[in-house]
Amino acid sequence: MFFHNFKYTFLTLFKNKMLIFWTFAFPILLGTFFQMAFQDIENSETLHTMNIAVVKTDTFENHNIWKETIQNLSEGSDPLFSTVYVNEEEAKKQLEEENIIGYLKLEDTPKIVVKKSGIYQTIFKSVIEEINAQELMLNQMIQNGDFAVDYSTIYQKIEEITKKEAPILNISRANLSYTMIEFYTLIAMAALYGGILGMTAINQVLANMSHNGKRVAVSPVSKGKLVLSSVLASYIVQLIGIALLFIFTIFVLKVDYGTHLALVLLLALTGSLAGLSMGVTIASILKTSENVKTGIIISITMLGCFLSGMMGITMKYIIDKNIPILNKINPASMITDGFYALYYYDTLDRFYFNIVSLLLFAAIMVMISIFYLRRQKYDSI
Amino acid sequence: MKNIIEVKNLTKTYKQLKAVDNLTFEVHEGEILGLLGPNGSGKTTTINCILSLLKYDAGSISIFGCEMQPNAYDIKKEIGVVFQEVAVFEELNVYDNIDYFCGLYIKDKKLRKTYIKEALELVGLEEFQKFYPKQLSGGLLRRLNIACGIAHKPKLIFLDEPTVAVDPQSRNNILDGIQTLRKKGATIIYTTHYMEEVEMLCDRILILDKGKILASGTNDALKALAHIEEKVSIEVMDLEETYIDKIQKFKNVEEVSYQNNLLFITYKKGNNNVTELIDYLKEEGIHYNKIYSERPTLNDVFLELTGKELRD
Repeated sequence: MFFHNFKYTFLTLFKNKMLIFWTFAFPILLGTFFQMAFQDIENSETLHTMNIAVVKTDTFENHNIWKETIQNLSEGSDPLFSTVYVNEEEAKKQLEEENIIGYLKLEDTPKIVVKKSGIYQTIFKSVIEEINAQELMLNQMIQNGDFAVDYSTIYQKIEEITKKEAPILNISRANLSYTMIEFYTLIAMAALYGGILGMTAINQVLANMSHNGKRVAVSPVSKGKLVLSSVLASYIVQLIGIALLFIFTIFVLKVDYGTHLALVLLLALTGSLAGLSMGVTIASILKTSENVKTGIIISITMLGCFLSGMMGITMKYIIDKNIPILNKINPASMITDGFYALYYYDTLDRFYFNIVSLLLFAAIMVMISIFYLRRQKYDSI
Repeated sequence: MKNIIEVKNLTKTYKQLKAVDNLTFEVHEGEILGLLGPNGSGKTTTINCILSLLKYDAGSISIFGCEMQPNAYDIKKEIGVVFQEVAVFEELNVYDNIDYFCGLYIKDKKLRKTYIKEALELVGLEEFQKFYPKQLSGGLLRRLNIACGIAHKPKLIFLDEPTVAVDPQSRNNILDGIQTLRKKGATIIYTTHYMEEVEMLCDRILILDKGKILASGTNDALKALAHIEEKVSIEVMDLEETYIDKIQKFKNVEEVSYQNNLLFITYKKGNNNVTELIDYLKEEGIHYNKIYSERPTLNDVFLELTGKELRD
């Protein structure tokens, strides 16, 4: 029965023209549009060294990790930062005159001051966050009395951190472009649109959601088997859609996803799972027509993609700056942020953080769905 | 006679509304039981409770001697349901729709193929196997709806208003099909608000209103509940009041009314009341045109029990 339901769910999803449009055709059309619209921009945009200021505070002066890291990032032939060390008044003045993109003031915690939002400001912020995270980790190790602290190792670690190149890659690489950012959000959108597939498939097996669901519910097949086989079929259809999108963007639009293709695919798979689980949840909890549910999923997805930078990357920075929690719970942001992490950072910590966040999002969605799906009888249908 | 379904004191409320009110009845093996009642009388709710789709407030339901539960798969595999609403997949053709629903009951592909063929024959859709639901007329769609519900040859079939909005040809086909199913041994519960269908098909009838059983029994037994035995209508031009008064005094006459040149007479007893009426009209030199005589219908029974028409 599992395969029987899987087979027919797969067939019905594939033959549903509206579903195929939203999950297969629309992302491809939008991708083509992006390519046409941003081609010129991509050719002209590269990132340059950022002018920043560091406020000379006692904390900063006495803090080797911070001091040496900033210094290292400001050295070399193509440095990340061009840094001036000034007092706060001077830093403010330089920021006002736009000689610098922002300044760092280190007291108990690092404080970043920028005048406006933009990609440089975000990178500046990310770098400082990264340094801070590593510095905290080292401090924790030192303070934790449970461990026999090997100071020589710690100092060696400090040396490693401060002397090695920044944990951030050379960000002037060609992959960093507005077009790429748009394609990240496009993949996020395609992944989340999979929710429509999940919703449609689940609607067909729930007695309180569709006429077909009523008929299926009176059959001698367990609801668990029906739901699982339907979800699996939707996921496979969704992955085919994602695969087609990648094939189209790589071979037709000549999009370069860089050297991390396996990780890019992993992120797309995980994002699709998050999208699918969102669709299943909407199918399970909302007792309304399929068209309304489709509208809700499309709206949530488009809003999520908009907030994560689909209609202009500035939006992501604005949200990051003003309502950071929104991007932390927005699956579209998790996906796009995962892609950024692949290109901006040498380590994969942030990438995996986004993968875990997406899995967590999917798990929460699944738990909500199970709560509603476990009902066998209904108050009304 | 063996009971296939036993419903005892079933009560179901929707907020303030008592949709099913302390219903108790049985369905015997091999019979067609009709649930007759106007829209909102509780027919569909009763079926949904029996099928364990709806929660109910009180009562018990057993099918094939076992308590009906949502996970009573051994019971469910012997049940076929045709809901009031057409429940098919727009993306699948006629054959695949039947195959999908039949496949939820029958694993064996070869056996399923035979069953599908028989179901297609039963509902007369052999020539439409490759058609998609959108290409079918309303009547053909209803037939597909039935085929999807009965292809797996269930022992117990629920048919919930299967002929709503169906053309006469499809309706006849559906009713013939139901009789064939019964002949093959299926027990059928048939809900409708079309009294003619119930009279034609059902061995026993439950008349429902506001979730309660108003009356139950065979067609004849129910009709016996009506105080009238014959209804006569006759077209007479400009009939004077005095004649109406005289007709009212005829033997067995229950009620006389005259509207739009039509004289309606209901008789408490007898089957030969028309002769007496015609003789009188001739005697008085009153010209008349068409005359209709009919036996009381279940609608008359319902009217008498509730004061309203079945299709109100």
